[in-house]
Amino acid sequence: MTPTDIPAPSIAYGPLWPMIAVFLAAAIGVLVEAFVPARRRRPVHLVVALAGLTGGLVAVALVARNHHHPTLIAERAVAVDGPTLFIQGTLLLLGIAAVLLLGERSLDSTGGTFVAAAAVVPGSRGERQLTASSTMQTEVFPLAMFALGGMLLFPASNNLLLMFVALEILSLPLYLLAGLARRRRLLSQEAAVKYFLLGAFSSAFFLYGIAMLYGYAGSVDLGAIFTATGTVGSNDTLLYLGIALLSVGLLFKIGAAPFQNWTPDVYQGSPTPVTALMASGTKVAAFGALLRVFYVAFGPVRWDWRPLMWGVAILTMGVGAVLAITQTDVKRMLAYSSIAHAGFILTGVVALNRSGLSGSLFYLLAYGFSTLGAFAIVTLVRDADGEATHLSQWRGLGRRSPALAGIFALFLLAFAGIPLTSGFTSKFAVFSAAISSGATGLVVVGLIASAVAAFFYVRVIVLMFFEAPAPDGPTIAVPSVLTYGAIALAFAVTVVLGVIPGPLFTLADKAALFVR
Amino acid sequence: MSTVTTATATATATVLAASPQTSVSEAVVFWIVAPVAIAAALAMVFSRHAVHAALLLVVDFFCLAVLYAAQDAPFLAAVQVIVYTGAIMILFLFVLMLVGVDSSDSLVETLRGQRVAAAALALGFVVLLIGAIGSATLQMPSQGLAAANAEGNVIGIARLLFTRYVFAFEATSALLITAALGAMVLAHKEQVVPRVSQREMSRRRFAGAHPTPYPSPGVFARHDAVDTPALLPDGTAAEPRPPVLEGSSNQAGRAGDPAGPGATGSGS
Amino acid sequence: MLRPYIPILFLGILGAALAVVSVLGGGFIGPKRYNRAKLDAYECGIEPTEQAVSAARFPVKFYLTAMLFIVFDIEIIFLYPWAVAFGRLGLFGLVEMVAFLATVFVAYAYVWRRGGLDWN
Repeated sequence: MTPTDIPAPSIAYGPLWPMIAVFLAAAIGVLVEAFVPARRRRPVHLVVALAGLTGGLVAVALVARNHHHPTLIAERAVAVDGPTLFIQGTLLLLGIAAVLLLGERSLDSTGGTFVAAAAVVPGSRGERQLTASSTMQTEVFPLAMFALGGMLLFPASNNLLLMFVALEILSLPLYLLAGLARRRRLLSQEAAVKYFLLGAFSSAFFLYGIAMLYGYAGSVDLGAIFTATGTVGSNDTLLYLGIALLSVGLLFKIGAAPFQNWTPDVYQGSPTPVTALMASGTKVAAFGALLRVFYVAFGPVRWDWRPLMWGVAILTMGVGAVLAITQTDVKRMLAYSSIAHAGFILTGVVALNRSGLSGSLFYLLAYGFSTLGAFAIVTLVRDADGEATHLSQWRGLGRRSPALAGIFALFLLAFAGIPLTSGFTSKFAVFSAAISSGATGLVVVGLIASAVAAFFYVRVIVLMFFEAPAPDGPTIAVPSVLTYGAIALAFAVTVVLGVIPGPLFTLADKAALFVR
Repeated sequence: MSTVTTATATATATVLAASPQTSVSEAVVFWIVAPVAIAAALAMVFSRHAVHAALLLVVDFFCLAVLYAAQDAPFLAAVQVIVYTGAIMILFLFVLMLVGVDSSDSLVETLRGQRVAAAALALGFVVLLIGAIGSATLQMPSQGLAAANAEGNVIGIARLLFTRYVFAFEATSALLITAALGAMVLAHKEQVVPRVSQREMSRRRFAGAHPTPYPSPGVFARHDAVDTPALLPDGTAAEPRPPVLEGSSNQAGRAGDPAGPGATGSGS
Repeated sequence: MLRPYIPILFLGILGAALAVVSVLGGGFIGPKRYNRAKLDAYECGIEPTEQAVSAARFPVKFYLTAMLFIVFDIEIIFLYPWAVAFGRLGLFGLVEMVAFLATVFVAYAYVWRRGGLDWN
């Protein structure tokens, strides 16, 4: 046993900078919590977080310019390729908008959407004192930044171990953030506990799947699993178990059908800016990871998992579209709509060809911004008890505040997939990709589900514009420039991608090649 | 790509040459520790007292650590003792104490038939998993151990940790920060009103009317709590009364106390 | 294979023996002159109850301590292979470990500054 030195691995730090920038900003945020006096924390946090995200965006642009050939860096652990950069860019833009929403505090007379002190028991005397004060739990900023860092890492990881770590980094802060609502705290805490328990279960499934795949391929590297699937006579049972268990973990995160139960409760209970971050960011990141795993590692055994994915996609579209009709709460309705959209994007995954990948990437960007904008508008419709989320309270909103209701209607139309919105182009992209790969049946189901979904989106629009407003209805809060900025960004993306989708399509198509 | 496949191929080749056999000492350890582990696990499940169950779980964890050590995985054994037996069990016990040792769950089912359905589904899942894993692994010889432990188990782990998984290792620190942040956010109450220091308290006391200690409760008192006034021989309370602690207002007539409101800020 | 663990086994046996011998030995050797007052458990003159009556629940503060303990416990897990392989890792290992520790100490600084370690 002669001692051999362990050589230092070659890590090309350049393409890691988008993630490093965000993690660095998160760590600085924690230091801000430690050393900056409470009154000045919120503005400092905003500056740090936005600087980190902008820096990450610049880094993504530089990496995209300098790395024309997709590579695997950090000992094959991180993949720098088109999908990674496209999704990271999307996530950073969404992150900027979400951080703007987190920083908003002029909506509530007492200051922000976040609880003053999470450790104080709801309904206690201490809470009443604190709620009247204008303090807030400013830890939400570093937590959100850590979640965003995990989201950036999740679709970029090329080995399953790193992917698991990224999954936890993105999930843990979200479990916490879900429980920090200022109003209706018990509902929020219930959402956090549910999300945490079910999320921990799904992580366990994911980890178990990794163990199975390691037993099958002798490696957790996606490329090595791909190679192993090509060899004849290997132990296929382990592979199937691994695929199934890994899929459970990933499908939970995207909110696909047998694992969608948490979505409405968590989306409803969480503070709305956090819901916006979850509905857009988590979905984009988790789909990125799902696409990478299935396109890179499980391509050769597609005949084994595609029928299953078909079933999941159909079930997801059906459950999301049908159950959304029965909802009476705006946030729950948007949650079911996000389930349905997960099903639509899954058709792009099932397609398993280049246009399926580019279509999914385009869809993720378009949907991410629409849903973020929709939740941003939900934060503005308020009454004395906080946000007025019951649908009956939204009656006649279009007469009282036509501009805002109009923008919300535009997001709903984008969800429904009406032409000239981003939703139409993205649905067209994934459905045509699915047809070209022979999944016509799936597309038929998708079109039916779209029609059903369009019904309840249009119903909300009718409710807002063609019914008389309730006398004691909610008011539209006047936000600061932060929320306006987030809504404007979401609005611009939704309109531009609907009218001139060409440039982004070209970009997504150029990006749609995984490195193995 | 090709480098990885050749590497795994050579590893497989070297490992198959040294086919591992269960040694006598390993068998002896297994047959001693495994029954203890199973007995402890069963006792844990059927134990009625939560603390007993937790302690039995410690026994179980420790047995697992011994089994890991017997299977040439000293690092895993150390982790099992340090993290599980040490840290995780501490957390379990804390949670038990937090909830109260005597409290028991409400056993009312809100969803009818939920328990039966859950049991049936869990059983089905376990049967499926056991069947699949059994059919999968029993045909293969175990392999890879000798190559992984060639220069010592812990060194092997270090080699992987600081080469292939170094980025995952660094990323783990983000998880640890999040855990600390989360614990603070959920469990730490900020001191809103600055705490009164001992110096400040003594200064207040001497600035007030009564620097000396208050009369003690005395032989006629029925309580020995500090906020109970001393009784004079005729049964009336001795004046002045001691300062009132916030939240202990079980007797009336203390609002105008000279010691002021001992506001403790964010609740008690 | 299991030879390195034999000293640990002996140490464990020795520890258990010490505990057993001192408990049993006390019972055998010590004089046994009991009376009623001596058999009473003494708790400041108050009849002892099985559990603290008013404090059936722990303060949540202990949870914070336990959680912080776990954070640094897991840090130790990473230090263990690093320390064993320190001679072979070279500068890279040192840099990576310092980076890791610095990051975790960010959390420490936060907890310390915000009073998470104060005992009041």
